[in-house]
Amino acid sequence: MKNPLQKRLLRELRDEAGKYIVIFVLLAATIGFVSGFLVADGSMRITYDESFERYNIEDGYFDVAKELTAGEKEALEKSDINVYDGCFVEEALQNGSTLRIFPNREEVDKVCLMEGEFPEKAGEIAIDRMYAENNGIDVGDTIKSEGKSWTVTGYVALSDYSCLFSNNNDTMFDAVKFGVAIVTKEEFDSYSRKALNYRYAWTYNAKPENEQEENDRAEDLMKAMGKVITLETFVPKYQNQAITFTGDDMGSDKAMITVLLYMVIGILAFVFGITISNTITKEANTIGTLRASGYTRGELVRHYISMPLFVTLIGALTGNILGYTVMKNIVSEMYYGSYSLTKFVTIWSGEAFIKTTVVPFLMMLLINLAVLNDKLKLSPLKFIRRDLSRRRQKHAIRLGVKIPFFTRFRLRIIFQNMSNYVILLIGIIFANLLLLFGLALPVVLDHYQAEIENNMLSKYQYMLSVPVRVMSDDSKIRSMISMLEFSAATETDNESAEKFTAYSLNTTDDICDSEEILLYGIGKDSSYIPLDFSDGQIYISSGYADKYDLKAGDTITLKEKYEEDTYDFKISGIYDYMGALSVFMSQEQLNETFDLAQDYFSGYFSDTELTDINDKYIGSVVDKDALTKVSRQLDVSMGSMMYLVDGFAMLIFMVVIYLLSKIIIEKNAQSISMTKILGYENSEISRLYILSTSFMVVIFLLFGMVIDYGLLTVIYREMMRSMLSGWIAFYTDWTVFVRMFLLGIVTYAAVAVLEMRKIRRVPMDEALKNAE
Amino acid sequence: MFLEINNIKKSFGEAENQIEVLKGIDLSIEKGEFCVLLGPSGSGKSTLLNIIGGIDNSDEGYISIDGEKTGDMTEKKLTLYRRKHLGYIFQMYNLIPNLTIRENIEVGAYLSDCPLDIEEMMHTLGIYEHQHKLPNQLSGGQQQRTAIGRALVKNPDILLCDEPTGALDYNTSKEILTLIETVNDKYGNTIVMVTHNDAIKYMADQVVHLKDGVVRKRYRNEKKVPAQELDW
Repeated sequence: MKNPLQKRLLRELRDEAGKYIVIFVLLAATIGFVSGFLVADGSMRITYDESFERYNIEDGYFDVAKELTAGEKEALEKSDINVYDGCFVEEALQNGSTLRIFPNREEVDKVCLMEGEFPEKAGEIAIDRMYAENNGIDVGDTIKSEGKSWTVTGYVALSDYSCLFSNNNDTMFDAVKFGVAIVTKEEFDSYSRKALNYRYAWTYNAKPENEQEENDRAEDLMKAMGKVITLETFVPKYQNQAITFTGDDMGSDKAMITVLLYMVIGILAFVFGITISNTITKEANTIGTLRASGYTRGELVRHYISMPLFVTLIGALTGNILGYTVMKNIVSEMYYGSYSLTKFVTIWSGEAFIKTTVVPFLMMLLINLAVLNDKLKLSPLKFIRRDLSRRRQKHAIRLGVKIPFFTRFRLRIIFQNMSNYVILLIGIIFANLLLLFGLALPVVLDHYQAEIENNMLSKYQYMLSVPVRVMSDDSKIRSMISMLEFSAATETDNESAEKFTAYSLNTTDDICDSEEILLYGIGKDSSYIPLDFSDGQIYISSGYADKYDLKAGDTITLKEKYEEDTYDFKISGIYDYMGALSVFMSQEQLNETFDLAQDYFSGYFSDTELTDINDKYIGSVVDKDALTKVSRQLDVSMGSMMYLVDGFAMLIFMVVIYLLSKIIIEKNAQSISMTKILGYENSEISRLYILSTSFMVVIFLLFGMVIDYGLLTVIYREMMRSMLSGWIAFYTDWTVFVRMFLLGIVTYAAVAVLEMRKIRRVPMDEALKNAE
Repeated sequence: MFLEINNIKKSFGEAENQIEVLKGIDLSIEKGEFCVLLGPSGSGKSTLLNIIGGIDNSDEGYISIDGEKTGDMTEKKLTLYRRKHLGYIFQMYNLIPNLTIRENIEVGAYLSDCPLDIEEMMHTLGIYEHQHKLPNQLSGGQQQRTAIGRALVKNPDILLCDEPTGALDYNTSKEILTLIETVNDKYGNTIVMVTHNDAIKYMADQVVHLKDGVVRKRYRNEKKVPAQELDW
């Protein structure tokens, strides 16, 4: 015969609908979001990985000063590669952004149409979807440069620009001020040859089998090309940030999102545990009678655990349905908000199912099983006598009679509900951590922008682009001539300009992936970097010191990016510069260390624009815009997500407070009823039972802020270390904490109103009903 | 007349399931009088006590205390009425489990503008030495003493007792009854006590027998028997 106790479940579900609905909503929302994230992330990852073959993404590109001849192309292809035309023009649009325009590609780096149509005639253009969204350009709009205008026929994703890096040397992309587009061949041919940038892509006929082989082949290829043509730049695919950045970033949030889910499930499991514990106390007589009549502990455990498991299962299933439908789209929108990805196809994820359904179910099962086994261990007699405490409390905590009576009453409520308040504290800390993150990130980015503007090395840093032929030419004489040409063409008459040498090395640190550190060789008596280098001192930027926990006296080891050579530098001091991870030493020392000519330089610091240097030798200009790209891009890609985080944090906060305060009131229903009988007014009872929780909420909010601040500085550090090359220091101001506190109080106030209603509804016969 | 109960009717349930628990009770009790309501289970005595106590409503009739009718009172006024005039003692004590003995008595004291002295009350009730303990650390008798203390400390006009000895053994029951008797003498509170115990009728001023929702017998004792001399 079926256990008749199970018939209670439906009734319990109906009687406690409010409680189960909020738990269900939180479970379904969290699982839905995480499931959506894992599904979208997994599907995107597969789409991204497959895009290399589907869209025939290049194995690298190179720039030359003039168009390749058929003979040169043929000679290059003897190195077992195919060479494709990848020429482009760049147009400065009237909205202040730059658009890189290509003719539509059919062989390599093929284009994915995201919306609308491909351009079919002159005057039509299809632009990158993300760039269009960031600049509010719709299909059908007209975009204009100084001399031209185009009608936007559609949105596209260029497979070799999943991340919109305009320059491969940039530390971050800027999808607001830079975009890519395609036009018809006819339109493209209307540009003069002078306007063209001669870029060519290559693919290997036989693909390299691993990274090492790819690296070796690229090095050999660069040398082979140097014999045929004069290379301006040479970027193999694995170095091309526009292609690889997205893949490197994908999945980096997976662990954090999964931990978020497990924390929510853990909190809810304990809330269920407390609810069950409360129900067992309430039903002690019945449990004792059932046990005395022959019901086993297992049967009762199974009965009481059914509802949490049922709600979890329904929540998980609903969450998964939401995940595969609505949430997947929200998360993919977040990806599409950061990257120019091609269209993706949803792929069923076993990992997502295990993480969002199996693990939460098991967590709920194990935590509640532990609570139930512990609670139901007592003998039937103890249940019948309602004597459920393992250890008889010898003395109540003494509270002096001078403490006002209401205060003592509230303190007793707090002592009585300590386990509830512990879970409440964990819930508040967790919710506030999310809220602090959501509120602090925009402040961090604003502060970074302001800091950068006030603390630049110089208004402009011109990074000169040393032609590849200087490095790759086998003929030393030709290489020297190239060097002389370069030196002559990069001299300036600008009086504010000051030469420096820049050299890139990579970290060897285990904490993060190897990342680029820019070493500056500073000229004597520099007005831009006023440091003392007289005794060979070496300084690092404060950004570098902050990110890697470095201080004066430490030794750093850096290495060549694709070689094994390492260099040790002892830090003499920290230079206040958060804009980049940099090392500063004298120009003489740097040139000597890297075997460069004594008078070698590779850039200028300047407070005014340099106008007398040939553009082709300017690799990049580091100005305010360039330095704040990181924060701008983070703002664009994560800004909207922060509202979601804030909302989710408040939902968790509200649900946890609602459930736990509900339990406190239910647990004390008889006492509340009795005080009503005695003549206490509802307002007085609310002051007793709600103010005690209010007091704890305020304490926890304040205490939680301290804990959360500490936690977030650690989490932020790890997060930024793993997701960002460069460094944005954590910063927050008092307004964040005030907003956090006020949001907490407002959310709690909403719950307190529900609590008051609940207290009003406790009937006076409750005290009589349960008196037996 | 201090407490007047006039044609009180009360039913529970609806349609064919409706049960008329009180079928028109009329009763009057003098100030300071000790009245015992006797009757078998289901006779309606507890329901009547709850209506007197303002925690339940009658379908018809009214209760008047010192000229004030409870039926006309709003929820707020009814709360004030309980606060001002009534003390309650239940069979299962209904103490607040997370408050100490002293604090449970203070729950009552808080409601009065001029409560009795708590220390003296605890001494009178014999629970002074237990004042810092929680209810579950005390015996049933001690818990009931505390409940009496909570009810009395605000010096109510009427003390309503619902089977106050129902969960206690013989000796403890006699102790509690003696205590109630002493309180009645000392403070002059009107006491209405519901009980199954037929012996208690001898210590009352007025005895009311209820059966099937009507007053079957009602009389005054010419000579009361002290609680200590009761036997059952």
